[in-house]
Amino acid sequence: MKRLNAKHVLITGASRGLGRQLALDFSREGAAALALCARNLDSLRVLKREIDETAPGANVIVIEADMSRPADIERLFAVALSEFHGRLDVLINNASALGPAPMPFLLDYPLEDFQTVLNTNLVGPYLAIREALPAMFERGGSIVNVTSDAGIVGYAGWGAYGISKFGLEGLSQTWAAELAETQVRVNWVDPGSMNTAMHRAAEPDENPEQWADPADVTEVFIYLASDESKGVTGRRFEAQKFSSKRAENHHVSGA
Amino acid sequence: MSRVLEFSLPEGLNAKEPPELRGSRRRDGVRLLVLNRRAGRAIHSRFDRICDFLVEGDLLVFNASRTLPALLVGRRESDRSRVELRLASHLSDDSWLALVRNALPENCPVREETNSVINFDLGLSVRLESPHEKIPCIWKVRFSASGSALVDLIYRLGEPVRYRYVSRPWRLNYYQTVYAREPGSAEMPSAGRAFTWETFLRLRKKGIETAYITLHTGLSSYLDDELDRRLPGLEEEYDIGERAASKIRAACSAGRRVIAVGTTVVRALESAAQADGIVRAGHRYTGLRITPDTALRVTDGILTGLHEPAASHLELLSAFISPALLREAYIDAIRLRYLWHEFGDLNLII
Repeated sequence: MKRLNAKHVLITGASRGLGRQLALDFSREGAAALALCARNLDSLRVLKREIDETAPGANVIVIEADMSRPADIERLFAVALSEFHGRLDVLINNASALGPAPMPFLLDYPLEDFQTVLNTNLVGPYLAIREALPAMFERGGSIVNVTSDAGIVGYAGWGAYGISKFGLEGLSQTWAAELAETQVRVNWVDPGSMNTAMHRAAEPDENPEQWADPADVTEVFIYLASDESKGVTGRRFEAQKFSSKRAENHHVSGA
Repeated sequence: MSRVLEFSLPEGLNAKEPPELRGSRRRDGVRLLVLNRRAGRAIHSRFDRICDFLVEGDLLVFNASRTLPALLVGRRESDRSRVELRLASHLSDDSWLALVRNALPENCPVREETNSVINFDLGLSVRLESPHEKIPCIWKVRFSASGSALVDLIYRLGEPVRYRYVSRPWRLNYYQTVYAREPGSAEMPSAGRAFTWETFLRLRKKGIETAYITLHTGLSSYLDDELDRRLPGLEEEYDIGERAASKIRAACSAGRRVIAVGTTVVRALESAAQADGIVRAGHRYTGLRITPDTALRVTDGILTGLHEPAASHLELLSAFISPALLREAYIDAIRLRYLWHEFGDLNLII
């Protein structure tokens, strides 16, 4: 049996990079319904066509939404919950804004960009969790926030992005604490360095080939979205370590 | 019936804004008038103490319908004049019932033609298929989009239905309960508006059960006082899932209290139990009118707002408590300056 059978999932920032890979892998793992959101509707439509071919049983809807705008988030959940008849099992808060690239030092950071990054990466997930809770409070659910090592170490030059991820770490811990007595689980994942358009824009002088492919980091997200992680909440995961450990165990048990 | 409950509501008792903007800064910062069904004894309390009036094993049933921004403004294709559409109810053939009027500033009913078209922004249009048999201005209409694509457009184009007593337009999220799920209500199912997640956690700790159903509410007014007094409501769409139905059956058979959060929940549960008194899961429509003569088969209590004179909701409440006791309580509520309507205070009848 596939690990995400019957699950109803919403993924933000699904048009490219990690979000796109999660949509593909979740559909392969049997997710029954996927609400995929991003600002770029055309890319989402291409992705939907791909999933319709590879996993024809999944109900996939694509929704244009900018996670820095509360009205868009409200509409996103209204549309998804209308399509899914009020059901949602998994929310992946993946959408992130990097801000200006190359990233300026804080001293020179334009205020408007600073606010947009915080709205997308911190306020957006906060509002998304509030919108998802009604569908999860009764039957349980899994919320996964995508964080970064820039959320636990203050790197010079990582500006608003790093600060927003510090906030997201706190947001995740606080939600997990407040929901500890419910069946709604909140965990957060640092995917590590990945070869994505965002990371290439953040570090244009680095060789992207040294970074992981998004497909190499999705294992922990599938684990957290599935019933395999029942009872797991309030924890921070490092995706690449998780994948390596799984591969190692698989190798050992298979040997 | 309406004579017993005729009273005059002073203008100052209309809740003009959400309670979180009135000073308490909290959605649960409203008053709670608790009435004992039989003795009529009134206790004046606060909503954040609701757990004090409930006991372990009580089952609270909520309406989890989400409020649509159900007021849309477009232009008639025939003469480009501005027209207002208030969505009232979604029908099983995927058409809608809607109140059609000239848009502000006139905001009055106009004779519309069958098959005429109204155009909105973003490429959305609607065709007026047929007028309602009994209610002028209500039309069966069909949009050019359907399903979640239509919901997306309604959210982009619409605004919440608002009546004169509300001081100014408020954002849609002020018209949602914290537990709202599937969109479809023309107006907020407001009895549950004061519940916070903190209240839910306290209910759970005390062993008070909760269940959720969906009834998409229609319009509470056709913007015509005479019509509002005379006419029953339109049929409303409701859905009771197996999870809720089995919780309700278990509470009923164990003799535990089933308390409806809102008149919509009473209508849905009593409709679902009409055949043999047993609530079964299903997706149906109801036009059930509950009066003082209705024998309630499922619900033992109700949490509701304070209702206007002669409103059909007062008839429904009189199925729980005698009209004389209700009248007495309402007179007291006016004297003590309780607030009315969707952003107002609450009344628990148990």
